[in-house]
Amino acid sequence: MSSVRCRSWYLRSMAAVLAALVLLPPAVAEETILIDAKTQGTIPIRLVGFPREVEDTLTFDLSVVGFEIVGPGKGQYEVRGGADPEVRGVLLEAGLNQPRFSRAYTGGSSRSQAHALADDIVKEITKHPGIARTRIAYRCISGARGSHNQLLSEIYVADYDGANAVPITQDRSVAVAPTWVPGRLQLLYTSYLSGYPDIYSQDLTTSARLPVAHFNGLNTSAAVSPNGTHVAMILSRTGNPSLWVANLDGSNPRQLTRTSGYEASPCWSPDGRTICFTSTAEGKAALFTVPAAGGAMTKLKTGGILNCTEPDWSPDGKWIAFTRASGEFKIYIVPASGGTAEEYSAGEDPCWAPNSRTIIFTRGRDPSRRLSLLDVPTRRVKDVTRISGSCSQPSWTK
Amino acid sequence: MNQLTKIGLTLLTAVALCSVGCKKKPSNITPLPGAGQSSAPTTSFASDPIRTARPTNTGVPPGNAFQPGNDGGSRTVPFDPTGGTQKSDLSAPLSGTDANPGPRPGGDKPEDRLTLQGDTVYFEYDKSAIKSSEYAKVAAVAEYLKSNPGDDLVVEGHCDERGTEEYNRALGERRALAVRERLVNLGVPASRVTTISYGKDRPVDVAHTEDAFSKNRRGEFVLLKGGTATK
Repeated sequence: MSSVRCRSWYLRSMAAVLAALVLLPPAVAEETILIDAKTQGTIPIRLVGFPREVEDTLTFDLSVVGFEIVGPGKGQYEVRGGADPEVRGVLLEAGLNQPRFSRAYTGGSSRSQAHALADDIVKEITKHPGIARTRIAYRCISGARGSHNQLLSEIYVADYDGANAVPITQDRSVAVAPTWVPGRLQLLYTSYLSGYPDIYSQDLTTSARLPVAHFNGLNTSAAVSPNGTHVAMILSRTGNPSLWVANLDGSNPRQLTRTSGYEASPCWSPDGRTICFTSTAEGKAALFTVPAAGGAMTKLKTGGILNCTEPDWSPDGKWIAFTRASGEFKIYIVPASGGTAEEYSAGEDPCWAPNSRTIIFTRGRDPSRRLSLLDVPTRRVKDVTRISGSCSQPSWTK
Repeated sequence: MNQLTKIGLTLLTAVALCSVGCKKKPSNITPLPGAGQSSAPTTSFASDPIRTARPTNTGVPPGNAFQPGNDGGSRTVPFDPTGGTQKSDLSAPLSGTDANPGPRPGGDKPEDRLTLQGDTVYFEYDKSAIKSSEYAKVAAVAEYLKSNPGDDLVVEGHCDERGTEEYNRALGERRALAVRERLVNLGVPASRVTTISYGKDRPVDVAHTEDAFSKNRRGEFVLLKGGTATK
């Protein structure tokens, strides 16, 4: 057929399709319920034709968000492609003749192209954004000891799957509790490099570092507001570790809590109006919220679960994950307005991914703690094995 | 037949018509951001051929070079001793006096961890109260400091592994502050005592046993030796 006739076939067909779509009633949008009392099943998918490294990357990226990589004839979906050397892929669905999409990628590395393909697959099938091109910050015990025989600890940044890890501090001191400034290549963290626990801010593109809080006593647990303008932190300058809020550079600090107990581990609601944190004001550690602008603190109901610490608020605002520290550490999730808290895994220090579905946390005991990924709907857990050594306190870019 | 099936059939029909005899449409090519292109921050970081990100010392000298908010006042601002959650509006700015105004010693006074090593104070699990069994040790430290007015003191607070990291950093600080408060009540000027919490970062015993845990829940005394020793 000549190209002119082909084009007119095409145009007439598309006109017919458009007419049909206009006449049909609108389809019901598929809403994936991400957290349910019942464990969600996995989505079987097959990968065909990719070289080993690309297939491994796709396998990791897909299996952490609820896909199961299967063999021939078993998948609901199939991704056929290759890397020659640029990655390309066609997403097919069982029962459909036409591909869901057919894409090729250029630029970056082979690994980042594979991540881009994985994100496209996840978006196409689940309707939610992927996380394959996000990053984490964390800290690792360096194995060396300091002048007082203390175990040294440095901050690192890596891809969320542990690849391309880069050290952020090399102070031969104790650096802990890194946290991202949303939308920027900037971290806040606690370091003892002055001899005292202080909070610093480091620009990752220039390595310039500035102090944020270096009051007498404890300065730690920095958490940056979602719009990047303020920082919540724990300061003991008034004689008791309490929750404070300041501008991101540490100016204009305001005390938000004043209790007979002590506070720890603040996190922000995604709308920036509320801070959730741990306090021992009522005896055993429990979760509370307080308006970021100041006001009364309110206990968060966790259905009778006590010793609640390390809360983190999901970016969609709906959930708070936390660590229950009653004996073995366990990850729990509770609705953000309070309610029944449900256990998801052994482990501590949960941090939500931007997709409000994946949580990175720490599991194991010293001296071999490791980072791990929880897929909340399927409850599956996958260790970030590319990161070796004793690492903890992960923070996910938002 | 339901809506989804209707749409599916319509599309299949249209697509079947379209695909007969026509060349396949080319794949969509997604260009990834390369070096130098503006992109989301995370990607531009990856595209930078990173050597080690080495932090500079900009603005961060160690020791006493920066002590904001410290007017050296020795009066301790008490926190609410009555228990229960606070209810008042806290948006009013705090006064300038810090309750923790002890010196932030730099490197000029040498450390002595041995002299008061025997007075290390131990704590109950998840508690910061000084046990009566430890009173004599704190009293001994107070006496030493009164007899050696040139020396300053750092109280280090530590925890066992059973709390989470930042919670333990706060608990360790509470333990150090409790010791400091007792010293102040025994007549030691607050300006001579500083606290540092290490949370659970520095156990003396890494075993996962009750015995190890009890050794790790402690307050240690580190002297900062002054010029004129009187003992």
